[in-house]
Amino acid sequence: MELELKKQSRHGYPGLLIPIEGTDGAGRTTQIEMLRNWLAIEGYGVVISEWKTSKLIAAAIDQAKEKNLLHAYTFSLLYASDFADRLENVIIPALKAGLIVLTDRYTYTAYSRDVVRGVSPEWIRKLYNFAPQPDLVFYLKMPVEILLKRIIGTSGLDYYESGRDIGLSTDFYESFKIYQRKILSEYSIMEKEFDFEIIDGTLSVDSVQNKMRKKVKELLDSGVIK
Amino acid sequence: MRLSKSHDLPGTLIVVEGVDGSGKSTQISLLRDWLISTVQDVIYTEWNSSRIISDTTKKAKKKNLLTPRTFSLLHAVDFADRLEQIIVPALKAGFVVLADRYVYTAFARDVSRGVDREWVRNMYGFSICPDLALYFHVPIETSLARICANRAPKFYEAGMDLNLSKDPHESYNIFQGRVINEYDKMIDEYGLVKIDGTETVHNQQVILRNIVSKMLEQKNIRVR
Repeated sequence: MELELKKQSRHGYPGLLIPIEGTDGAGRTTQIEMLRNWLAIEGYGVVISEWKTSKLIAAAIDQAKEKNLLHAYTFSLLYASDFADRLENVIIPALKAGLIVLTDRYTYTAYSRDVVRGVSPEWIRKLYNFAPQPDLVFYLKMPVEILLKRIIGTSGLDYYESGRDIGLSTDFYESFKIYQRKILSEYSIMEKEFDFEIIDGTLSVDSVQNKMRKKVKELLDSGVIK
Repeated sequence: MRLSKSHDLPGTLIVVEGVDGSGKSTQISLLRDWLISTVQDVIYTEWNSSRIISDTTKKAKKKNLLTPRTFSLLHAVDFADRLEQIIVPALKAGFVVLADRYVYTAFARDVSRGVDREWVRNMYGFSICPDLALYFHVPIETSLARICANRAPKFYEAGMDLNLSKDPHESYNIFQGRVINEYDKMIDEYGLVKIDGTETVHNQQVILRNIVSKMLEQKNIRVR
């Protein structure tokens, strides 16, 4: 009888968990959509889960943000509630069913945003310690200057994306620059800590996608899911 | 973090803890009347009373939609909001803040629902350490008798979400028994001051006022 060593996913479920991280305007949503289409054609079942989309809690977050009345820890805990709810209702069931789960942002988003807003880095990592460990984390890395142009050219500067709630500067443009720099610096701390697969977000949409597919293909070829 | 060291704010934080039916709300209300008549600047705050997520938790509770962890997180949101909007400003302004339930309620209840002990303690690490935490201890029979004198225990207070028993009274006994057990462990861990909740209302209040005046005098607040 031959002993077969079956490769295991990092979290122990039969599916695969692949978060895509990066600041606003880094192109995450486009890339995830393209990955999904490709994987579907390859014959894999895919589930996408986006940050702040739990049915129950997302509305409460929007309401609170509208009134701009959140303190750093309250803000952080609200997002964690949303995440916990999605984890139990969407992500874990999909992983158990052997699907590939692509998440638009993951706990790392909280580790950067919430720390910039003043919560302790150690506290936030412990808070999310119930999250399954991903099999592969993509980080779409972008320099601030290019991010700024992209965002101004598309959606425009948003109050929270510019970190206006933490009073960095009354100048929207300045505030955005300072805030996003802080966010990027938190991400760079995590590159090694969480073994990010760094992708240069300034490349063309197609080159980014090709690099991502290559990595996902390697993972699939390793036989981690059937 | 803040919870593990004493605060240096001018105000005083007094919290009462205990299972449902332990009599803590009666006692804190008497304490409040007395303090208002003597030290004046007193505010009172209750567990689970922030408006920020009350609609969400109500909806979720109705449909029994939440896992214990999500439930625990939502209570922490409520607490964080009240802490920053009500408790901390009042302490900075030198008030005596009376809290009907505090973080220890979460430690007792959430752990009894199966949430990790260390995890929930870390989560509340940002909270202010109280000057005095009073724990009203009653046996489970007393709690059940007081709460369910003329009604069946409610779904969550009986821990019916945990499927411990189909009978609400039986489930209440098991669940609140666990909660009492968790509280008892916290007496040493957090220096909770244990009060015998089976004593008469008057006797308890006399004991309470004694402890509170001594503590306030140490902070140079005169109480007659």
